[in-house]
Amino acid sequence: MKIDTDRFGVLEAKSSDLISFKEGILGFESLQKFIVLDPGDKTFILWLQSVEDPKVAFPILEPKFLRPDFSLTLAPFERQHLELETDQEIVAYCILTIPSNIEEISANLKAPLVINKIKRLGRQIVLQETKLEIRQNIYKELRLFLAQRPSFDQPEIPMAESISSSNLNSNVNGNGKKKEELEL
Amino acid sequence: MLVLTRKLGESIAIDDHIKIVVVQIKGKQVRLGIKAPKDTKIHREEVYSAIKDQNIAAADSHPSLLEGLSKE
Repeated sequence: MKIDTDRFGVLEAKSSDLISFKEGILGFESLQKFIVLDPGDKTFILWLQSVEDPKVAFPILEPKFLRPDFSLTLAPFERQHLELETDQEIVAYCILTIPSNIEEISANLKAPLVINKIKRLGRQIVLQETKLEIRQNIYKELRLFLAQRPSFDQPEIPMAESISSSNLNSNVNGNGKKKEELEL
Repeated sequence: MLVLTRKLGESIAIDDHIKIVVVQIKGKQVRLGIKAPKDTKIHREEVYSAIKDQNIAAADSHPSLLEGLSKE
């Protein structure tokens, strides 16, 4: 299926790529279907793109990259909502905010997105810990992390591929095939 | 919305396992005690507003702003 997006052009995705947020995301409750994509910029930052609104996409990052001790405690109602059977089904992402000054890039550590990657269900979970920030500056940590990670890990869940040249200097050319990765 | 009036020391029971008690009333502030099963999530409402605001700000992000982040 073809998905129109403002940032990444037209994407090709399988219906098995879709993730359902049955209760939407706070502030965007009417949007329930999303896909995760990688723009190929080697920042480890992925994008949760709405399939229903081309304008809406959230930059996301797995918290374990910046906080190796990150742990998630889910309440029974949250597990039920995500139809979780084992913890192996879970992948978590923090929503990032990228302002025009990159040094102010922040992560919402307090309310990560938790996805059941098998059942393709997602939910924004508010963690109980009081010390977690909704707007935690991660610029220094992220730069350090990127400097220390020369190779790119396989993403946790399958993604949509870009099929058209887009607004971004992406790694996809006009006829939909991926170019070789450019050395930065 | 169910609205109940309670005096100091009185409680409200929710779903058999959750209890809210008025612990103290001081001027305009009400101090509430909450007894609930260990896994119950309890938050001040403002947390939800703040998360919603941050989600909205996040949705304004654009990948081009990340240029230079992964450079040496």
